[in-house]
Amino acid sequence: MSLAWISKLALAAGLVALPATGWAQSVNISYLTHWSPETVALLEAAAKDFSTTHPDVAITVRAVPFGDLLTTLRSQGGSSDGPTIGGIYDLWLPELARDKLVAPAPDAVASEVKKAWPAGVVSAASVGGALYGIPNEIDVYALNYNKELFKEAGIAAPPKTWAEFKDAAVKLTNKDKGQQGFGMINSWAAGVVHPFASLLVSNGGNLVKDGKPALDSPQAGETFALYEDLIKSGASNPAMATADANTTGPFLDNFVSGKTGMIIMANWWESALKTGMGDKFANIATAPIPVGPGGDKPHSISYSWMTVVNAKAGEAEQKAAWEFLAWLNSPKSGKNGASAMSDILMSMGILPSRTSDIEAHKDKLGSEFLSGYVSVLADAQPFPVVLGGQEFSESLQQTLEALQYGQVSAKDAQANAQADATSILERAAK
Amino acid sequence: MAKAFRASAGIMLAPAVTLIGVFVLVPMLLTVWLSFQDWSTQTPFSEASFVGLGNFHEIFGPTSVGRDFKTALLNTAIYTALSVVLILPLSVVFGLLVYQRQVAGGTALRTVLFSTYMVPMIAVALVWSKLYAPSEGPLNQLLGLIGISPQPWLSSPRSALVSIVLLNVWQQVGYFTVLAIAGLTQIPSSLYEAATLDGANGREQFRFITLPLLRRTLLFSAVIAIINAVQVFEPVALITQGGPVGSTNVLTYHIRRVGIERAQGGLGSAMAVMLMISLIVCVSALFAFVNRKDSE
Repeated sequence: MSLAWISKLALAAGLVALPATGWAQSVNISYLTHWSPETVALLEAAAKDFSTTHPDVAITVRAVPFGDLLTTLRSQGGSSDGPTIGGIYDLWLPELARDKLVAPAPDAVASEVKKAWPAGVVSAASVGGALYGIPNEIDVYALNYNKELFKEAGIAAPPKTWAEFKDAAVKLTNKDKGQQGFGMINSWAAGVVHPFASLLVSNGGNLVKDGKPALDSPQAGETFALYEDLIKSGASNPAMATADANTTGPFLDNFVSGKTGMIIMANWWESALKTGMGDKFANIATAPIPVGPGGDKPHSISYSWMTVVNAKAGEAEQKAAWEFLAWLNSPKSGKNGASAMSDILMSMGILPSRTSDIEAHKDKLGSEFLSGYVSVLADAQPFPVVLGGQEFSESLQQTLEALQYGQVSAKDAQANAQADATSILERAAK
Repeated sequence: MAKAFRASAGIMLAPAVTLIGVFVLVPMLLTVWLSFQDWSTQTPFSEASFVGLGNFHEIFGPTSVGRDFKTALLNTAIYTALSVVLILPLSVVFGLLVYQRQVAGGTALRTVLFSTYMVPMIAVALVWSKLYAPSEGPLNQLLGLIGISPQPWLSSPRSALVSIVLLNVWQQVGYFTVLAIAGLTQIPSSLYEAATLDGANGREQFRFITLPLLRRTLLFSAVIAIINAVQVFEPVALITQGGPVGSTNVLTYHIRRVGIERAQGGLGSAMAVMLMISLIVCVSALFAFVNRKDSE
């Protein structure tokens, strides 16, 4: 057969196959996330698996930095051409649901989620009793410490109380070596607020109680004072605390390079620590949050993430999106009875929230680093998910940063934080 | 005859005027209208409700909304003033250096100076965030070589905004140098020859010939530099996120946070209107100042 004939036959075959290909991928859906390229590759592989059984659905994944995720959802989610699926932080849900940017889950998905996830996680993915997203990750905070620096400073065990914590922070500080005892974070709202909130709840306090700010409590006053003490004693240096738009930056660099003795941080940063530290990651251990004078036992702040579907997407796209998400989060899609989503999360050291996933990943969750987080999960308190929550969080961030840099006293910081929170939550509730 | 002329002029101008009206005036007027409304950016305009001067009252009020806005306005003013004060003299100095025809490699120098302007801001931000790194950053290592202790750069509220200004100056100065060179080429060389014959030295020639005749170029440069500086967004979004303690929170970044992230369209519009008014006042004052000098 001549080359000319082969070309003609190939062209004819292509023309015949073209409509079939068009039919085969008639629904295009997109997934917006803030994950790293390595994790996006895992999600793309899962999407490819799904497409083998659903040839009519084509899924594309798009990633933006964490700092741009909410803006992208807000600016593009209002159109049918915006992302069909978005991974969101639970604090954002009440306002996205109020603005009708996210669709309620279909009944079948909602009843499956209510059966398979813990009630607290389900409530964080719901607004007014309606479920809006399929929860995936849950994050809690614990004390991360550098065992080698502890040994050098002659500290035998991680601090259990605030007194021990302050003492350890001072002992770990060595200004000649540019070393700080305890690393705070700035320029990133959750990074500033969540460690503070974990210390607050471990002192018997709350950020918000019965829908109203509770930063005027004596327990909150003691937590602001703890920060002031750490700064004044030089055990925490705000100049080593800056984060960038990707939630990395000097605060992470200082911890991985052994210039910060302790930090309060969430489980998800295991992958960042491993990447930054290599073999030295073995020096890092986790411990529960030190308990304050007003606290009964260690508590942590927890928050969750979920995947939601664009309410403005077409009916076929929404249907395909929920089918994909139900599959991605089901025990059928992953390895050894785990969901594909939980396999992706565990690759980053993130705790999955589906009950069957926790069971399926039991071995890995028992690792030295993650077991410290799993152990505090039972006593964790969810970060308050309220209207105006993001603005409240950013406002508290500003106050805490001002305290870190010595611009306000602990007493003034407490008064400012309570006044700001009251006005923000009242305005948002209108 | 005149009537026919006016009609044809009107017909010919209509397309341009319509385009300007639709794409420039309508959004501006809409922003002004929205600044008097309580409106979420996620809802149709029809759901906006009139609140009079409520939004303006709030952004200048004592709550966190007002405090953050006033800080952002002040940061933008400082950023703009510092940028203009550094860029304009540097552009004239570089322009004079590069304009010397007898200097070998002048064209290459011009290319190098202008090249910083062509580098995308994302690349500039990535590189400068590493240059400014407090512990391992090359800038602090260089300072260490000459016995200066490490500087906090972006990690301190006292130096973060200035660090962003330096980045801006580095990127923009080449462009303004090209403008200065264009201005210098307009000055007749006969004026310098005559001044030399009259015994004027280099400093006097610069003061009494170069600077006065560069005034129009510098006015144009100043207006462009102010507009560019007021619109600063990328380095803040990419490097500092407005921190620490809101020290780099400039107005464009803050408006994006309020208007888009928090969907508070009315408040965001009121802030945008204040930014627009501030810019108009600054530029008008600059023109008035130069015109007064001209008439003197």
